[in-house]
Amino acid sequence: MDTILNQEKRKARTMGIIFLVFALAVLLLFLPGTTGEQQTTFTFTATKVEALALPDLIFSTQMGLYVLVVVIVFLGAWQLAKGFPNQNLILGVVAGLFVLAFLAWAARDKSMNLTGMLESTLLRSMPILLAALSGVMCERSGVVNIGIEGMMLAGAFLSALIGSVTGSQWWGLLAALAGGGLMAALLAVLAINYKVDQIVAGTAITILATGLTSYFSSRYLQTNAALNTPPTFRPLQIPLLGRIPVVGPAFFNHTFVVYLAFFLVFAIQFMLYQTRWGLRTRAVGEHPRAADTLGIKVFRTRYINVIIGGMVAGLSGAYLVLSSVARFDELMSAGKGYIGMAAMIFGNWNPIGAFGSSLIFGFADSLQTKLAILQVPIPSQFLLMAPYLVTMIVLAGVVGQSRPPAADGAPYEKE
Amino acid sequence: MRKNLWMLVSLLLVVSVMFTGCGDAGDTGGEETVASVGMVTDMGGIDDKSFNATAWKGVELAIEELNVSGSYLESQQQTDYATNITQYIKQDTDLIVTVGFLLADDTAAMAAENPDVNFAIVDFGSLGDNVRGLTFSTDQAGFMAGYVAAAATKTGKVATFGGINIPTVAIFMVGFEAGVDYYNAQNGASVEVLGWNTAENNGVFVGNFESTDDGRRVAEEFMAEGADVVMPVAGPVGLGSAQAVQEAGNAWIIGVDTDWTVSASQYKDVVLTSVLKNMDVAVFDTIKQVIDPNFAGFGGENYVGTLENDGVGIAPVASGAVADAVLKDLETIKASIIAGEIDTGWDTYLAGLE
Repeated sequence: MDTILNQEKRKARTMGIIFLVFALAVLLLFLPGTTGEQQTTFTFTATKVEALALPDLIFSTQMGLYVLVVVIVFLGAWQLAKGFPNQNLILGVVAGLFVLAFLAWAARDKSMNLTGMLESTLLRSMPILLAALSGVMCERSGVVNIGIEGMMLAGAFLSALIGSVTGSQWWGLLAALAGGGLMAALLAVLAINYKVDQIVAGTAITILATGLTSYFSSRYLQTNAALNTPPTFRPLQIPLLGRIPVVGPAFFNHTFVVYLAFFLVFAIQFMLYQTRWGLRTRAVGEHPRAADTLGIKVFRTRYINVIIGGMVAGLSGAYLVLSSVARFDELMSAGKGYIGMAAMIFGNWNPIGAFGSSLIFGFADSLQTKLAILQVPIPSQFLLMAPYLVTMIVLAGVVGQSRPPAADGAPYEKE
Repeated sequence: MRKNLWMLVSLLLVVSVMFTGCGDAGDTGGEETVASVGMVTDMGGIDDKSFNATAWKGVELAIEELNVSGSYLESQQQTDYATNITQYIKQDTDLIVTVGFLLADDTAAMAAENPDVNFAIVDFGSLGDNVRGLTFSTDQAGFMAGYVAAAATKTGKVATFGGINIPTVAIFMVGFEAGVDYYNAQNGASVEVLGWNTAENNGVFVGNFESTDDGRRVAEEFMAEGADVVMPVAGPVGLGSAQAVQEAGNAWIIGVDTDWTVSASQYKDVVLTSVLKNMDVAVFDTIKQVIDPNFAGFGGENYVGTLENDGVGIAPVASGAVADAVLKDLETIKASIIAGEIDTGWDTYLAGLE
């Protein structure tokens, strides 16, 4: 007992010291570069929609940084003296304040649009989020899906083609779901029935989808514009909510696909933890033998999950085409499926966790662009590493605590 | 069971590789031809509306007019470069055209091993006696585009970004920035360039030439910061930017490599102008040299496309976007650049690299 208590205490103390280190970092890294006259301007203009306007926030960079340091030091001191009940939350707050200090420093003598940044964070996280959700669906039932990237490409390709041919984004969306689902069915056959190594099968699917879509794209889509100009989903502003400054444009002015993704996060979360189907899925992913003994059909459960997961990956591809760029190009998913898998792991195989981690990746992407626009003296190559650095730090720091489903990646043999 | 399974997996892989690796054998001239030309593309596909497509246009023209046979092999990843080049060497191709800066290493190695084969490489200087380098002073055309952008902006901010920070991409941005600065100096304006700074050799890059979604997001971020002209130098990625600009409705896009009012015509209402890099002219010219009966090797010669020889240029400016006086200025600027009286910033950039 005593040792556990001591451990707790030591952990609380370490956390407090970490907070103080953040404060020290602001003092040493950012403050020396500022002078008394420099001002930071944060603007909140929404670019695309009317929202209630918020005046620009202009403050002395130095003063702003001092205020942030004081707040962080206070949090650290409180933690050391009394301790917060929810340390991780406060750690998040401190990290947020640190990022704010960084932004204030980066935007000294310049201006930065925070609303635009929030909006871009969310949109950049969308394909990653949907890929992560796809991974959650598959892996919760015990099938590793490393073919998400390929399913995204299949979805993107079909949504562009069918959307253009039918002239309707809705058909495009359905085609993407079908395309992703079909690729996933192939994975299911290989991984579940034939018990192929799931990593090999998933990789083969990505290679197949890359080859097929690139070939047909260069053969037909790129040479005939009529096959590659699908109509797109338009942003729908949610009344009232959409007019709130900052939050409105960032969260409540999006296309159908984005709202659908929000819905899926909570729907899958609910289904996994509150329904009979979810219990069965998790049972099959953790201990298929026991589930089988109790009469749960392991193969069927896995098939259904993998195929739904593939459809979600297809949706991610459809997002890229129907909600973003209105055309298909070779390899346009550009590795976002793999980042999605990292987001899934970081999110502890849990939809809401995956949402949170996708937002972090989206933020890293968006921050990288912002910093480059502000001409922060860091070479672009290093800035481009930001999302991957975040991935590594996060994986190194968190994976110890996150735990995959016990039977993840293991084919099930009936006796 | 096991056997079936491996059959299935191998079949899958074989099918994929068939579609991925070999790309496409294009036209062969039909009857007896005077020479054969093989082109190896960079990633991004033959119809990237950018350099692969433009270079291929040069080969196509030669097939039509010079009675040569031609084909291309697409590279899906960097490891395909050497494989594709080797394939043409095996077929005794008379001229192998490799498209892009990134193919330089493989081209140099293959050319050294096969001194009897003629090579031409787009976007790189000569790599040996049997290699003709096809390079372009795109900074000159980018300069003119920068001047137009500065004249067209209403917000006083113009933006540019690249795919990867390599000289053949940066050269557009260097010229662009210098053009804007020149406009400011001439007209007492203070138009700001977002996304590139020659002095720092640093700017906004998306890190790839594929993710159109990234192109869209970057354009939106530029617009959120107040820019209303965007020049993406990233192949197909820029088409995502064009979509964002078109939806925003109050900004311009500047095309690169080809005239986007033609090659990406769905965006023609928002294309301010395009920076033309006429790789087709260079490739055609090279093929013409090779089939000349008196041809005795390139001797390590370079082709440099400039405003003077129409190797680079800008497409007509969207009507009504800028005052007529600006169009007149452009004529003068072009003449001054050709005469070497205007600094396009390229020397500064090169000095910065060392």
